[in-house]
Amino acid sequence: MIAVTRRRPELGLLFWVAALGITGSVAVAAAEVAGFRPQQLVIPVSYVVIAFVLHFFLAARGIRGDQVLLPIAAALTALGLILVERLASNLLLQQLSWTLIAAGAFAATILIPRDLTALSRFKWTWALLGVLLLVSPVFPVIGREVNGARIWIGVGSVTFEPWEAVKILLVIFFAAYLEEFREVLSQTQRRFGPIPVPPLPYFGPIVAMWAIAMLVMVFEKDLGATLLFLGIFLAMLYLATGEVFYTLIGILLMLAGGFVAYHAFGHVAARVDVWLNAFSDDLRFDAGYQLVQGLFALANGGLFGAGLGNGMPERIPVVWSDFVFDAFAEEVGFAGALALLSFYLLFVYRGMLIALRAPTPFLQLLAGGLSFIVAIQTLVIVGGNARLIPLTGITLPFVAYGGSSLVTNWMLVALLIRVSDVTARVKGLP
Amino acid sequence: MTRSIAANIRGLTLAIAMAFLVTSIGVGYWTLVAGDELKADPYNPRLIAAIRDRPRGFIKDAAGNTLAQSAQTNNGYKRVYADKSLAHVTGYASFQFGASGIEAAYAESLIGQDPGDALSQWRARYLRERAPPGSVVLGIDPKVQKAAADALGGRRGAIVAIDPRNGAILASVSWPQYDPSLISDPATEESAWKRANEDPDKPLINRATQGLYPPGSTFKIITGAAALESGVDPNAKVRVDDPWQADKSWGTYFVRSSSRAHGDYTMADAYRLSENIYFAKIGLQIGGPKLAEYAQRFGIGSTTHCDIAAAQGQLSRTGVLDRPTLIADTSYGQGELLVSPLQMALVAATIGMGGVMPTPHYATEVRDAAGHAIRVIAPGALGQVIRPETAKALTTMLVGAVSGPGAFAFGAKIPGVNVAGKTGSAENPSGSPHGWFVGFAPAEAPTVAVAILLENSPRGGEDAAPLGGRVMQAALGK
Repeated sequence: MIAVTRRRPELGLLFWVAALGITGSVAVAAAEVAGFRPQQLVIPVSYVVIAFVLHFFLAARGIRGDQVLLPIAAALTALGLILVERLASNLLLQQLSWTLIAAGAFAATILIPRDLTALSRFKWTWALLGVLLLVSPVFPVIGREVNGARIWIGVGSVTFEPWEAVKILLVIFFAAYLEEFREVLSQTQRRFGPIPVPPLPYFGPIVAMWAIAMLVMVFEKDLGATLLFLGIFLAMLYLATGEVFYTLIGILLMLAGGFVAYHAFGHVAARVDVWLNAFSDDLRFDAGYQLVQGLFALANGGLFGAGLGNGMPERIPVVWSDFVFDAFAEEVGFAGALALLSFYLLFVYRGMLIALRAPTPFLQLLAGGLSFIVAIQTLVIVGGNARLIPLTGITLPFVAYGGSSLVTNWMLVALLIRVSDVTARVKGLP
Repeated sequence: MTRSIAANIRGLTLAIAMAFLVTSIGVGYWTLVAGDELKADPYNPRLIAAIRDRPRGFIKDAAGNTLAQSAQTNNGYKRVYADKSLAHVTGYASFQFGASGIEAAYAESLIGQDPGDALSQWRARYLRERAPPGSVVLGIDPKVQKAAADALGGRRGAIVAIDPRNGAILASVSWPQYDPSLISDPATEESAWKRANEDPDKPLINRATQGLYPPGSTFKIITGAAALESGVDPNAKVRVDDPWQADKSWGTYFVRSSSRAHGDYTMADAYRLSENIYFAKIGLQIGGPKLAEYAQRFGIGSTTHCDIAAAQGQLSRTGVLDRPTLIADTSYGQGELLVSPLQMALVAATIGMGGVMPTPHYATEVRDAAGHAIRVIAPGALGQVIRPETAKALTTMLVGAVSGPGAFAFGAKIPGVNVAGKTGSAENPSGSPHGWFVGFAPAEAPTVAVAILLENSPRGGEDAAPLGGRVMQAALGK
């Protein structure tokens, strides 16, 4: 028999989320030419209902532990819906449907794996599945090339970005693999000067990961996925071993790969050139157009922004998927952009706290890796939008338009809540 | 002993927090620091949107005539321009093709957000209140502008007239023209832009500020200034024998005299008869670095300070004068020199002002909707670029170049006024020489300086000089 838990703080926070979602949506509608009409409340109210249902579902299942992640994820998803309403209102219903599917995936992830630790037993299955999904867009028939990157699979009109699911499978695999071999990898008998040299059989997988990442870049032309793949791997390797040196070697290998790619592949060189010379006369109307328009939007933001619905972010091509951050910053300013970044930082902080308290190395690595996914995605896309690093096609978690990303991110939240639930049970906490 | 995973989690979290801090600073840079520059970028759609959404302010000339205004159409607003001879000055304002000229340079002022009006900028930004647009007033004097347009009379070229005392531009014509009203009307912008852009005569280029031509003999003013300040005696006779080369190493290359001259020349004679060999010889005497320094002082090949887009010009392809033949050719205005008519008008103005170079500017004032001045545009002089006594000596010789016996620039004479000036006929790869005239009047206390450029004119500078006289006469009100 499941004991029902009372998740009071979570419930309280969700009222704030409801207020944010509904006022934001009304503000956007009111700024449009047609003005606000009451029937436009249907979508934000439906969304708020979904968020509350998830809360009561957790309470009914007797889930203990963290009560902050669900409200943050709900708030970010609400901002996502508001921005889709603002930037691509024809996609709004579709995004709400995806939100419903994401909520279902969240609930399923809470329910299905009876024992989280058991996930580690099937690690090679996850690895195989992950690699298969990763290379699937390369195959004919199901693979799709969109905007120069071959990272989609599709049957008929339904398309899916397998990379999104791969991220989570990889983290589960890495957590299990590193739990098993972390002692060997970090307690090396041999040192080559300051460099720890692990026994070759254990070092092999690290090189294999790098090679797979490079293959992804070559065949799928996806700079962002490569960066994420290596970033997640290096972060988890560090979590497991504490060896900064592995990370440094990894970053060096990454830079070497990037250098070769810059000279060998046109699409990589083009991205880097746009990043370095966005405002040059031959790029600003061509390959750099999107980035320059994004920077114009940021510049228009100022401290407090133009106000929701009052900027001109629609002048940025495909703003709703690649440039939501700039669009958001134009209308809510630097202050609003900082608030958004704080939401992400808080999410990552809560996730890392869950990792810190988790009872087994596997669960620690799992929670740490999952939190890192959100951190690196946010940093890479916001950095790209603000021209700190070359732009990549990474999505802003929870906020950017896109189904596969939303679904997997909500599964990620469910896994983190599950880890904190296990911790609370082991330690006898509420 | 292995470090605990917990310690590693703390380390990674700290690293992530640092990365968020750096990212936030980056976002702060673009939203707060870089904001002003990007908001004023002529291709920022936020500025261009103001073209169609709402009326923009007026552009007016010095006499208060309206040169540009917005008119309502059934599809937003279009811009209407009164004087086609000012097409390149007012520029155009098109939703699709951006803006140029004053429309681009004063885009913010024309939508009621002049940088000099912090309150309106603040209200527009934070309260979304749009101040009604005011106007931008130009220094263009309609009488001088008409005289300049009539003088050019449909020949390819450009005329600039400037008030040397304050740098205000009194007239500015560039031919061929285009119709800015058609490019600024949503109904016709597409076809008008296509036609203007594909025209082989390049009507969209403002030849007055952006056209680059070899200056020919007008450059001798700069060579003379460099020579006088390097200790060359202007009264010393220099032997001229056409054709001339410094030594046998020049091979088949010779400097030619335009009058096939043989004789002894003072500097005044050389100005009056525009003697190439004289200037080639003194150019070689003072050397390449000295000549390059003075070209630089007069702004050739260096940053421009005009309020609308203007070209820098070039001294030579490499920026230095390192070969004797290049030094000789540059000394009389050929070689690899390229300058704009505006730059040469400034050279004349500087001599007239005793060596003080004014900062050129088209606009003189930004006014609010009620007609009160928000900002007066009066940039100070760029500086004293040559000594007053050098300028005085050059002025005397340039008066001689207009009114002395047999002077080449006699066509620029104005009855009852001392005119200083210099013609030029610039050899170029596209056909007949370009005709130049630069000058100022009255020579003792000038109120106007001009540069005339006629592309591929049959008699070169001789064709240009009378046009300079007519424009200056209009400016002097004679």
